[in-house]
Amino acid sequence: MTSVPARLTVLVGDDEPLIREVLCELLEREPDVDVVAVARDAEEAILLAELHTPAVAILDMRMPGGGVHAAREIRERSPGTRIMAFSAYGDIGSVEEMRRAGVTDYLLKGLPNTEIVAAVRRLGARA
Amino acid sequence: MPVLVPMPVVVPGDVLAVRSWGMPDSTFDDHGLPRAQPRPLGLPGHAETDLQLLIQSVVDYSIFMLDVEGYVVSWNTGAERIKRYSAKEIIGKHFSVFYPPEDNAAGKPRRELEIAVAEGRLEDEGWRVRGDGTRFWANVVITALFDETGQLRGFGKVTRDMTERRSAERALDERGRLLAHLVRAQELERRRIAWDVHDDTIQSMVAVGMRLQLMAGQLPAEHLPALNRLTDTVNTAVDRLRDLTFRLRPPGIDRDGLVEGLTGHLGQVAGEAGLTYTLEHRLDREPPPETAIVIFRICQEAVSNVRKHARASTVTVSLTSADQGVLARVVDDGVGIPQGIDSLVRNDHFGLIEMRERAETAGGWWTVRGRPGMGTTVEFWVPALPHTGD
Repeated sequence: MTSVPARLTVLVGDDEPLIREVLCELLEREPDVDVVAVARDAEEAILLAELHTPAVAILDMRMPGGGVHAAREIRERSPGTRIMAFSAYGDIGSVEEMRRAGVTDYLLKGLPNTEIVAAVRRLGARA
Repeated sequence: MPVLVPMPVVVPGDVLAVRSWGMPDSTFDDHGLPRAQPRPLGLPGHAETDLQLLIQSVVDYSIFMLDVEGYVVSWNTGAERIKRYSAKEIIGKHFSVFYPPEDNAAGKPRRELEIAVAEGRLEDEGWRVRGDGTRFWANVVITALFDETGQLRGFGKVTRDMTERRSAERALDERGRLLAHLVRAQELERRRIAWDVHDDTIQSMVAVGMRLQLMAGQLPAEHLPALNRLTDTVNTAVDRLRDLTFRLRPPGIDRDGLVEGLTGHLGQVAGEAGLTYTLEHRLDREPPPETAIVIFRICQEAVSNVRKHARASTVTVSLTSADQGVLARVVDDGVGIPQGIDSLVRNDHFGLIEMRERAETAGGWWTVRGRPGMGTTVEFWVPALPHTGD
């Protein structure tokens, strides 16, 4: 008897099409990762997270509606979803703002792809 | 009780004789000042004469006397210069001629004498009218003069022309408003550029970098070195752009104050650069917001220079209240600067030029000094007076 390997479900929320596309492509190349939802703004991310309850939500902090708002709502509506902030900003203020919203995992845009995948896996393992 | 000092008292001419203080007309010169001669006063004769000479010679102050009703009974060179009446023209006239019509209509001259009598003195600042009809901004002190028996003998009046100073203060105030507008406009523009770079340029570059990495897994091995170089180039550009947005972004001092904002900034920058930093502050009060931004931006640029060029291990930033402003120093222990720093400031070192321009635009000064191997000190002062009326 073979067991079905656990799938890692991911929501991608980013208003930049180029980022969305390449992030989805990067993650879907992983055999055990499924990108179950793609959102262009905070409201869409909240609705899709509630609908799909992904293991991990990768949220751009500056997408329309605000990544911090999306993070708060998703934590409320899909408590099992682990949230990863994805931002071009690495300053203390941004990190602190996200921490107050309950987001403890933060990924700086521009890191190597391998680190992005590794971070998603680490987070998914805690989901 | 105020003591009557030996002031020049006089009134030449028949009409004015009734207002004289009991001294013979022949004893006075054309300015209404007593001629030098022995008099039964409290000072030795030469001292009294010297004092009269002093009063007569002072040109920066109009010093003269009024009788108990407010008629001019003496005049000096300063009064002639400031008020543009000769002694002959003004002695015997009522001092209300110095006041603008609206003040006379309001009874101000009479009221000022009443207050001086009641309180011993009165100080006022306001417009006064010269002999030629022009106005000047005057600081006026009227002192009631009583004799030994407590009887009012008249008034001493000292007037300063404050027109230039007032203009300068108004210009400073105007400059303050302009500075505030300029700083706000600069900050808004910086914020806009920061967001544009962040939301557009960096995102695109990041996407390109990620795409290049994906392509690396698909291309034949011989293309990998070139692709890796492209990836490195893109990543370096992203780092530079991120650094740019960091420097452009709002300092947050409107929320936390100058010291907190600067502490946060130093913590991040120095931490990343492996610098040990110290922030010393002895500020009497928080500077006005625009001044705080000017100070923050200059310190930010100075610390950025330390990070990029100084090869320093420590940087100390100090802020001290001084001369109604803030004196700031950014001191490092790095490689110092070559001789002829002036040429650096003049030429292509925009960071240095920007620092100096910021300080000078704010009405302050800026300087940099140092020697090879001896570290560098950036020092500047900006006024920190709140401007009014904005």
